[in-house]
Amino acid sequence: MLSKKPPLLQSFLSLVSRRVSHLAQQQYDVIVVGGGHAGTEAAAAAARVGAETLLVTQKINTVGALSCNPSLGGVGKGHLVKEVDALDGLCGRAGDWAGIHFSILNRSKGPAVWGPRAQLDRQRYREFIQSELLSTPGLTVLEGSVEELLVTEPNPEEPGRHRVTGIRLANGSHPISASSVVLTTGTFLSGSLFMGQTTSPGGRIGDAPSSAGLSHTLRERLGLRIGRLRTGTPPRIVKDSVDLSLADLHPPDSHPTPFSFLNTRTRCKPEEQLPCYLTRTNAGVERVVRESLHLNHHIQEDIKGPRYCPSIESRVLRFPGRRHQVWLEPEGVTSDLLYPQGLSMTMPPDIQLRLIREIPAMHRAEIHTPGYGVQYDFVCPTQLSPALQVKSTQGLFLAGQINGTTGYEEAAAQGLWAGVNAARWARAMPPVALSRTESYIGVLIDDLVSRGVTEPYRMFTSRAEFRTYLRPDNADLRLTLKGFEEVGCVSSLRYQEAVRVRDSLQDALAALQALAQSSSKWRKKLPDIRMSENKCTILSGVELLQHNVSFEMLASAFPECLSPYIEFSQRLNIEAVYNLHCDKQKKEMERIQKEENMSLPQDIDYFSLPVSLSQEVREILDRVRPSTLGSAARLHGITPAAVVNLLGYVVHTGQRERIRHRNQPDQKEEKEEEHSARNASLPQ
Amino acid sequence: MESPLDWLMLTPSLRCRQVTAALRRMAGLRCSLPPPRAALLRSITDPQGKEVLDRGLVIWFPAPHSFTGEDSVEFHIHGGTAVITAVLQALGSVPGMRPADAGEFTRRAFQAGKLGLTEVEGLGDLIHAETEAQRRQALRQMSGELGHLYQDWSHKLKRCLAHVEAFIDFSEDELIEDGVLNQVDRSVCNLQAEMERHLKDERKGERLRSGVQVVIAGATNAGKSSLLNKLCQRPAAIVSPIAGTTRDVVETALDIGGFPVLLSDTAGLRDSPDLVEREGVRRALERVEQADLTLVVVDCAHVPADAQQAAAFLQGHLRSVLPTVKQRETDRCLLVLNKTDLLPEDERRTLDEELRQVSGLPPVCLISCHTNEGLQDFLTLLHVRVKTLCGDPLSGAPTLTQARHRAHLQQCVAALAQYKHYRNIDLALAAEGVRLALTSLGRITGRVGAEEILDIIFKDFCIGK
Repeated sequence: MLSKKPPLLQSFLSLVSRRVSHLAQQQYDVIVVGGGHAGTEAAAAAARVGAETLLVTQKINTVGALSCNPSLGGVGKGHLVKEVDALDGLCGRAGDWAGIHFSILNRSKGPAVWGPRAQLDRQRYREFIQSELLSTPGLTVLEGSVEELLVTEPNPEEPGRHRVTGIRLANGSHPISASSVVLTTGTFLSGSLFMGQTTSPGGRIGDAPSSAGLSHTLRERLGLRIGRLRTGTPPRIVKDSVDLSLADLHPPDSHPTPFSFLNTRTRCKPEEQLPCYLTRTNAGVERVVRESLHLNHHIQEDIKGPRYCPSIESRVLRFPGRRHQVWLEPEGVTSDLLYPQGLSMTMPPDIQLRLIREIPAMHRAEIHTPGYGVQYDFVCPTQLSPALQVKSTQGLFLAGQINGTTGYEEAAAQGLWAGVNAARWARAMPPVALSRTESYIGVLIDDLVSRGVTEPYRMFTSRAEFRTYLRPDNADLRLTLKGFEEVGCVSSLRYQEAVRVRDSLQDALAALQALAQSSSKWRKKLPDIRMSENKCTILSGVELLQHNVSFEMLASAFPECLSPYIEFSQRLNIEAVYNLHCDKQKKEMERIQKEENMSLPQDIDYFSLPVSLSQEVREILDRVRPSTLGSAARLHGITPAAVVNLLGYVVHTGQRERIRHRNQPDQKEEKEEEHSARNASLPQ
Repeated sequence: MESPLDWLMLTPSLRCRQVTAALRRMAGLRCSLPPPRAALLRSITDPQGKEVLDRGLVIWFPAPHSFTGEDSVEFHIHGGTAVITAVLQALGSVPGMRPADAGEFTRRAFQAGKLGLTEVEGLGDLIHAETEAQRRQALRQMSGELGHLYQDWSHKLKRCLAHVEAFIDFSEDELIEDGVLNQVDRSVCNLQAEMERHLKDERKGERLRSGVQVVIAGATNAGKSSLLNKLCQRPAAIVSPIAGTTRDVVETALDIGGFPVLLSDTAGLRDSPDLVEREGVRRALERVEQADLTLVVVDCAHVPADAQQAAAFLQGHLRSVLPTVKQRETDRCLLVLNKTDLLPEDERRTLDEELRQVSGLPPVCLISCHTNEGLQDFLTLLHVRVKTLCGDPLSGAPTLTQARHRAHLQQCVAALAQYKHYRNIDLALAAEGVRLALTSLGRITGRVGAEEILDIIFKDFCIGK
C-alpha cells in the first residue's frame, strides 16, 4: 500500500540476512525458483494462501527488476494488472508506487478496452517488490542457483508419472525439500544472448547463465516437450545526448489513475510526472538494417520470430518503406537513460549506433548499453493443467516465459495463479481454475494449456470472448470475492473493501432504478439534457445513464438519494451501459462454464475410445489431452461432431463417477450453488 | 433394367455376426466379404425362405470409406413396390436390423465428420426432393453455392472485425493507417444491404422446398373443383393426394413444370345459414390469406356483357373473395373465367379482348373445363407465376432454403446495426456488434476463433510492441 515506505537500504539488507539466516530449515511447502514478475507473484501468492514458501533467486538485488521496458499495463495487459491486483497480487500496487507517467490508453474507445498504463521508475519498482516480499509472513528469500530438481515416484492416488520433492542448489549444499516447486526461469532456461555475430550463454546481460541441470531434468528426466523462442531488447540511450526538441512530446494524463483497487492516488504527484517522446524511423534506418544483415546472426535465423514485439530488423524487412514509430521513454526520476521502444535490435554495437543516429532526434545520441537478442527454452504449455501444474509431474508448476509467454503482466498473472495452486497442492487442497468467462487470466491460461504457443504469447483484448464483461473497472467484483472465499489468496482487508463496493453499487443501481418518472418530469429536473418529446415515456435513472446522462448530473439533481454513491460515479456510468450487453452474453457464458466443468480424464485412451471420432481428431486429443470439454472444443481441427460425441462420453462417464464418489460431487454442487447465489447478488 | 434403380439404406450394426451372416445369405455371398466398393450383380434372396426376391447390385463399403463412416452395404434393386416391400420385409426379419430413422444416415455422416452443416442440410433436401427443381437447388447447396455466399460474407466480416480489433488493441502504440475504421463502416453498410436483399427474396427458396401454396377460391358453382380435377389430370402433373385435415379444404400436391405446388380447393364463398358451411367459408378465406397465389374462379355467365361493367363487377368480386389482399397486389392472384363454352363465340372474343385493355385487374384467363378451351394458355401463365415465386434455382443469387439460415441472418443484420449505433459512442460495444454478427453467421458456416482474427491483424498491419 502506498502509505508504506520501502525500508531504508540498511534495514533492507538486515532483513535479507535475517531471512537467509533462517535457512537452517530444509523443508518448505513451496519453493519458487526465479525472482522476476512470475516468481515474485508466485512466492507472495503461495505465502498468502498460507504455505511456508522459499523464493530462490540468483541475485537478491535483481528481484523485481524490469529486464526490458520500463512500463506496466496497456491495452489487454492493463486488464491483467487490474486482475492480479484484484487477487491481492503485487504488480498493481508496485506500479502505483513506481509510476512516473500514467495514462489510460484507448480512452475514446469505450471502458471495456481502456488500457491503464504507466511508465515506471525501475529502482522504485524493485524497491517496492523487494520490501513487500521481505515483509510477507511465511516467505523466505534465498540467493542461490538451482542445480537440479529432485524427482521421485508419484503418489499413486493422483494422476502423474513423477512427483517433485525439492531442489538442490549449485553450491553442493544438501537438498531443500518441498511439496511443490514453481519454476519461473524466464529467459534463463538454456538461454543464449545474441549481438552481431557473437553468441554467449545467459538469460539477461550482466547476469550469470543458469545451470544446465534444470533444463536437463525437464527434458530427460521428466520427458517434457521443450521448444525454443526468441526475444530482444533495444539499446539504452543516454538522455542528455538526445535532441528531444526534434521529437513529439507526449504528456501523461493530468490526473494519474492508480492500478490498484486499494489506492485512490499514486505516489507520484500529477505535476511530478515525466513525459514520453515519439519519433519515427526513416529510409536511413532501413538502409543500415539491410547493409548489416550479414553481420546479424540473430536476424538471419529469425525465420519465424514473433509477429508482435518484433525487432526493428524484422519490422523493416516485413513492411519496407514505412516509417515505424519509436517511443522514447523515461527510465526513472533520477535515471540518465531513455528507453527507445520499438528499436529492439541485435546487430553489432557500432552498427546499432549508426542506426539510431539516422533518426534526427538521436543524430548525436550515445548508447549506454547496446541491444541484444535472447533465445531460450520453453516448455510446451499444453503439458500443463489449468492450475499450471505439469500434468505428468505432481507438485511441479510453471509460470511466465517458461510457458511461452511474453510480457511482465502475462508473467505476473501466471505466477500468481501457479503460486496459489502450488500452495494448495502442498496443503492438500484441490486445484482451482479461472474460467475464460470471468477473467483475462482465465483466457490466458486456457489459451496456453489448450492451444499451446508457436510464438511468444501476448494478451490482447481481442482474445477475450466476453470483453464487455471482463473490464478493468470491475476486476474486483469478478475476482476479489472469489479470491477470498474460494481461493484464499486475498486478505480480509481487501475483501471487506470489495464487499463494500459491491453492496454500494448494488444499492446505487437500485436507487437509480427507483428513480422512475416521465420524461417531461426529467426535463424539468434536468433542463440541460436532450430527451425525446414523447411525454408519457417513463424512464428510470438507469435508463438515463444508458443514454449518456452522467451519474454526477443525476446526483446533483437528486442529492438526497444519490449523493452517498458519488465516489462510484464512473463505475455506475459504466455498469448501467454495459449490463445491457453482458446480460445478452449470459447464455453463452453459462454454456462455456458448463463445458469447462466437464472434465476429460487425463488417462483417457483416445485411440480406443468407443465413440465415433476420426483418426485425426483422436490424434489431436491424444497430443493435447485437454482437461475439459470446453478446451477440447476450442482446439484447432476438432469438428462440432467430435465435440458432440465427446460430450456424450463425458456425460456418460460423469454419471458413473457420481455413483462411485457420491460424497465429493455433492460438496462441489453446494459450492456451485453458493457461487451462483453470489453472482446473482452482484449488481446487474 | 427397365425401372430406375432404388437406393435403399438401412442401419445394420455389422459388428453383430448374425446380421453379417444374414446379409451375406441375402446377397448369396458364402464365405468371404466381397471386394470393397465393387458393384456385384447378385440374386437377392430371402435369408429365411431362400426365395429369390430380385436380381440387383450389391456394394460393400467397409468403414471408414462409406457415407456414414461406418461399415455399410447397399442393395440396388428394382423400383417396383412389390420388390421393395419384399426386400424390406426380408431385411426387417433379420434380428438386430431396424429401419433407419428419418435423416439418421445423414446425422451419422455428420457425426463422423463426413459432412459440414450446410452440406447436411443440402443433402437432407436432396433426399426429400420430390421434383426436379428441388433436386437442382439441393444439389446447388450441397456443392456449396449457398455455402460460398455465406463464406464470402463471413470472410468480409472477419476482415471488418480484424480491422476494428486492430484499432482497439494496437492503435495507441502503433501506426494503424487512418481510415481503417471508415473502410470498415463502408463494408458493414454493404454487407448489411446485401444480407437484407438476400433476406427479402420473398421466401423463394423456402417455397421451393415446401411447395408454392396455390388456392382455388370463388363463389359456389363457379367450377373450382372442375379446375382442380383438370389440373390434376394433366399428364405432366404428378398427383399425390394428401388427406385434408379439414373436411372442406382439399389439398393436392402436384408438379407444375418441375416446381412443387400445393393446390387447395376451398368451399364456395356465399352467405349460408348452415353452420358447417360458414365454418368452411371462414377457413377458405383464411387459406386465401396464407396463399402465395390465389386462382379466383368466376362463372363467366355472371359477368356483364359491357366491358366497363364487367371490370367493375370483377373488381367487386375480387374484393369479396380477397378482402385482405390489397388491390395493388395483383401478382398474388389470377382471374379464371370458367364455362366459356356456354358463351357465344363472338361474345367470348370481345370479353377477352376488352378485359385485356382494363388496367388494375389481375391477369384474366378464359377457360372451359368442359371443352379444355384456353386451358393450355392458363397452364403456361400458371407455370410462369410459380416459377417467379420460386425463383430459378439455376440463376441469380442463391436463395434461402432454411428457416434456420433466415433466423441467423436476421440476427446478423441486427448485430451490424449495433455496430453502426455504437460506432462513435463506444468502439468496444460497436466491435461487439461485429463479433455477434460473425457468431450468427458462424452458426451457418462454422465458428471463427480469435486466432483467425489475429492472423488477419498481423497480416494487414505492422504491429510492434
